[in-house]
Amino acid sequence: MEPATSETDEDVLIDGLKAGNEAEFQQAVRLYTPGMLAVARYYLDHASAEDVVQDCWVSVIDAIHKFEGRSGLNTWLHRIVANRCKNKLRSNKKEVVTDFSETLDPELANRFNESGRWGVPPKLQFHDAADALMENGALSDCLDKHLSALPETQRSAIMLYEAHQHKSDDVCNILDVSASNLRVLLHRGRQRIFLMVETFQETGEC
Amino acid sequence: MLMCRDLAGIASDYTDGELGTRQKLSVKMHLMMCKDCRSFIGNLRASTNLMRAHSSGKTDPELIRRIDERVAQALNANRKTDD
Repeated sequence: MEPATSETDEDVLIDGLKAGNEAEFQQAVRLYTPGMLAVARYYLDHASAEDVVQDCWVSVIDAIHKFEGRSGLNTWLHRIVANRCKNKLRSNKKEVVTDFSETLDPELANRFNESGRWGVPPKLQFHDAADALMENGALSDCLDKHLSALPETQRSAIMLYEAHQHKSDDVCNILDVSASNLRVLLHRGRQRIFLMVETFQETGEC
Repeated sequence: MLMCRDLAGIASDYTDGELGTRQKLSVKMHLMMCKDCRSFIGNLRASTNLMRAHSSGKTDPELIRRIDERVAQALNANRKTDD
């Protein structure tokens, strides 16, 4: 399920939320919770991230009256989650540590020889379209497994940029990363998925 | 001269159209001559599309149920205060 894309749908939803309608809240919870969790998981462990998202939804009941529509509802909700997470981190005095110094995944970096050419070139060309590949249940499960195994920083960047289709500026703002660091996170995440699909297509194993 | 390893490091910037004119030209020239890098770029694009096609909405139904419950309680509490 994708967040409401049509302006009219989103306006109707927002009116329902402002009116305090339970049905619209249930609809919004289903649409926006996956993205909100992706933001929270960037900052916090799984259990704390779920707690923050729950608290955010309760706070939305009052906060929605201040929503002026300058950004989309999706981006607004993600900013609320990010701010809560940052406050929680400040109170726990934890830091989010990320290494942005290397753009190549170590496993991929090992596939080049000393002259910088491919020593172990890409083995296969993915011929099938993404939708056709996803019909393969085993590959879909494997992708789930590898996405959850990614470092949280890479996973959140990928979820917000690729899956939830946020603009780069919004992702940088929500996750508090620079544009160049976001590029590193996306590229590292994509390489992991490339390596996974390559192994899967070659061996049938995840 | 751009080597395969350098190209792999900036491949996402190329596919997302984030490179400057000069770097983009170097990548294009390299790709004309290098089958392996063409294959890598194609596969990286396919991996990106795969992630986009992959459902992002798989959230624990138990969490959704807990949120519904807390929201319903808070809405009820608000209504009582308004009355």
